[in-house]
Amino acid sequence: MTVKFLSLAIKALKQTIRDRRSLFFLLLFPIVFMIIFAFAFGSPSSLGTGTAPHEIAVINLDQGATVSTNNTTERINSGVNFTQLLENITYAQTDTHMFTLNNVSADQALAMLKSRSLDAVITIPENFSQAVVSLANASARAETTSDIGLRVINGSTAQLPVNTTLPKQSNVTAQVIVEGDTGSAAFGAAQGLIFNVLQQYQGQIQATAIRQVDATLAQNQSQSNASIGYISAAVQPLTGTRSLTLFDYQAPGLIVFALLMQVSSVAQDLTRESDRGTLGRLKLSNMRSFDLLFGTLLTWILIAIAQILLLLGVAVALGFSWAGGANSIGLAVLIGIIGGIASISLGLLLAAFTTNERQAAQLGVLIAVPVSFLTGAFFPLPNEILGTAFGTTFQVYDLLPWTQVADALRQVLIFGSGVGAVAVYVGFAIVLTAILFVVGVISYSRVRLRPE
Amino acid sequence: MCSDVRSTKQLSDNTTDAYALEAQGLTKRYGDLVAVDDLTLQIKKGEIFGFLGPNGAGKTTSINMMVGLLSPTGGTVLINGQDRARVPKRSIGICPQELVLWEELTCVENLVVMGDMYDLPRAVTNERVGSLLASLALSDKAKTRVSQLSGGMKRRLNVALAVIHNPDIVVLDEPSAGLDPQSRLLLWDFVRSLKNKERKTIILTTHAMEEADALSDRIAIIDHGKLLQLDTPGNLKKTIGSGDIIEMQLADREKNEVVMADLKAVNGILEIQEINDASGTITIRALNAVSLLPEIIERVDATRTRVSDISIRENTLEDVFIYLTGRGLRE
Repeated sequence: MTVKFLSLAIKALKQTIRDRRSLFFLLLFPIVFMIIFAFAFGSPSSLGTGTAPHEIAVINLDQGATVSTNNTTERINSGVNFTQLLENITYAQTDTHMFTLNNVSADQALAMLKSRSLDAVITIPENFSQAVVSLANASARAETTSDIGLRVINGSTAQLPVNTTLPKQSNVTAQVIVEGDTGSAAFGAAQGLIFNVLQQYQGQIQATAIRQVDATLAQNQSQSNASIGYISAAVQPLTGTRSLTLFDYQAPGLIVFALLMQVSSVAQDLTRESDRGTLGRLKLSNMRSFDLLFGTLLTWILIAIAQILLLLGVAVALGFSWAGGANSIGLAVLIGIIGGIASISLGLLLAAFTTNERQAAQLGVLIAVPVSFLTGAFFPLPNEILGTAFGTTFQVYDLLPWTQVADALRQVLIFGSGVGAVAVYVGFAIVLTAILFVVGVISYSRVRLRPE
Repeated sequence: MCSDVRSTKQLSDNTTDAYALEAQGLTKRYGDLVAVDDLTLQIKKGEIFGFLGPNGAGKTTSINMMVGLLSPTGGTVLINGQDRARVPKRSIGICPQELVLWEELTCVENLVVMGDMYDLPRAVTNERVGSLLASLALSDKAKTRVSQLSGGMKRRLNVALAVIHNPDIVVLDEPSAGLDPQSRLLLWDFVRSLKNKERKTIILTTHAMEEADALSDRIAIIDHGKLLQLDTPGNLKKTIGSGDIIEMQLADREKNEVVMADLKAVNGILEIQEINDASGTITIRALNAVSLLPEIIERVDATRTRVSDISIRENTLEDVFIYLTGRGLRE
């Protein structure tokens, strides 16, 4: 005696494999997308340099510094000042801010960087204020001593005005780190702007120091120029993303897109079953609702596994920067199955209310395609932060289980992350999928599996 | 609630082992429309029970309520003396009017899936599959996908799926609709073998009078959801009397009433009636009808019209239906 759900799963699998239209939508369609996206976005591009604000985060580690002026001491934090400058600065002749600052922790920022929710993360070092003080002092010293030669030539008795003391010389240097995905066009644009703003900031420090000296000495500003080597900036590529392209971001998204196409296929399959009357025949037999639902689940999970493996293979063949070995494939398959179950659940929900196969197919595509965009399957989405929980920042899109699945797949496949790193994504994906599954099963059972 | 319980008990008390299926006051309403109206009947074990009626008469609705596909608005159904809900599902096999098949699967795969759904051991399923395909002349199409079968083959497979699990009661809803004469005869032989060799109870719904006549032990005539008559085909035909039927159409239909009034005077004509449909056919039941034809034609000519079509045949179930409802079965 064959277990009924297994028999139904085999039946559905045979039907799907023998139905060319269904196979096209489930496998060929996403593969075609994969090829198109690989060609279009498989190399770093210069796109994304417009005047839209760049999403960045600033991790300010600056400990501050004490400045003594005219017998008074003052505590400053240049890191805060620089952050404010980044926040307020606008593009020339516009009111558009160059940057949108996200108030997140270093770990959150890194996760957002990986999911391309952020274009760049700026880390201001502990000694940034001290380096700023060094720069200011050096500038002041240079300005103070710039007229000494002239004074000697003019026969001045003193080399420096009375009561003039040179600022302390210190040689503290600091390096601001700008971290991001060097393959991302958005990072390229953001990084250029950040360097520019840092240079402007240093210019302001120098100008202020020189103005103060000139006011004290009642002299004109000289042409002296202190070394600007006190503060430097360096790009730090995001770990493992040295050669990433937009396609690398998109490939896991396209796997999610393929899984979302299951919504249409599942709905179509189940609606066909009731439309053709075969569901009625099954209902007359000893088949229980569980058999049909579990059989359906089993079939589509197997198809999901096939989709994940096939699309990953195609993506790698097209140049996807896959990090991680066999373990990452195993983990990706498990994560993908969650996305598959979410799609099956939505398919069940649709099948409960669609009256014929065509309607199910059309409605399925109508839902699956926009949802794919909303999960960021194709392109990063603007930040719409809902809140923070479990050390992770949640966006509006994160309410869709497929978003969690896409983020987790990126972590695993691009960065080679393990279970621990994606636990939060997976946990939320499971919870959201479970909710959708319960709604789908109840709706389908009530509408389709009871006597009319 | 109480009345339901009482009626079920009352019916059970009267039940004998002889009945495979009993319907008591079965009713189905869709808003104001009464699809089945207080249907009460008993179907004996081992008989072929025909449901005869035109399309939309309520045959399929009645059957769907009897097998549990449709919840009745009122009434009860007993199967083998037990409430239908308590009867194992494998006791009944239903062949729906539509082709209910998995087009992408082969004939064998379709049958095996249904065998699995009824928990048949695979060896039993395989044996049943072989025997059914042979009986319905589908053996050479065993591994052919349903989508590649002809309409007749699909219809035969539709019947096979209904009986794969060897049910006691087989419901065949318009099983021969659209079948060519050869396939129809094959199917009729199969239905008879189900009764004679396997002792099945068969409920047959049809609007084909010759099918009901050829196969049924008893026939229920149903129209507008109501049971009009229930008896053996022979007894039903007797209800409208002896004699043959002359069917006649006049060139001028306006003259139907005049001609009918005149023909009533002819000796040997037992009954004369106009079918209430677009054809305007006059049916004449008469003893020794052939010998009356010249006189009938002569009288028609005398009313300044002529006979455009005339035929003579034996009394059929359709005549019974016309007698009971005043209209034809195929309207």
